[in-house]
Amino acid sequence: MILRALATLVLVGLIGLNFALPTSSLSHRGSENKVRADITSELLVGQQLPELELIDLNGAAVTRDDLLGHRVLITFERSVDW
Amino acid sequence: MNRLRLYRLLMGILAVAILVFGLSLVATFFAYQRPGSVPMIPTGPVGHYFVAFTGCALLGWAGGLLGAARDPLSSRSVGTMTAFVFALMAVIRMMVWFVGDYYVWLGNLPRTEASAFLMISLALVWLRPTVSESRRATKRED
Repeated sequence: MILRALATLVLVGLIGLNFALPTSSLSHRGSENKVRADITSELLVGQQLPELELIDLNGAAVTRDDLLGHRVLITFERSVDW
Repeated sequence: MNRLRLYRLLMGILAVAILVFGLSLVATFFAYQRPGSVPMIPTGPVGHYFVAFTGCALLGWAGGLLGAARDPLSSRSVGTMTAFVFALMAVIRMMVWFVGDYYVWLGNLPRTEASAFLMISLALVWLRPTVSESRRATKRED
């Protein structure tokens, strides 16, 4: 009976914790903010490339100015921590 | 409906649900092996290897649940472990929700699932047979 009561206490605590977790949209907090802003702002054909700074495979930063004036093919790979 | 009948009903429903989910995961693995197939779960070969493993494990779990549904008094530990595992799955989903890395794929689902799993766990804790009930049933069989 004591164990059952203890288990109930833990479970009710977890239910409370689940309700206490932030209810705001996750797109408005944390590191996901930038990613999701990119998803929602679609780049159309003919539109100018916005200012950007990406990290290449060697860890070096690449900005829009580095790409302008060249023919560029950009591919995106899902990272391990997608 | 008395407590044990409710327990058996819950275990039976869980068994069928987990059986179907396990079968679908195993089927997903085999479907992925077809040449030129599009993965139904967004993961690669290693991920599908674990998907198949999880599917097989779920089939085993479903078998245990079916046994507990048929004879709850001699399978009390199945209910206990199932309650623990559902609570653990809820904690994992709460972590997933909090971290946010899966939001694009799953949306609000992890949080809803966490609530449902905790309620199931709570139900199992209160509906499963007591130690004395199990002992009495074992003695009768002897």
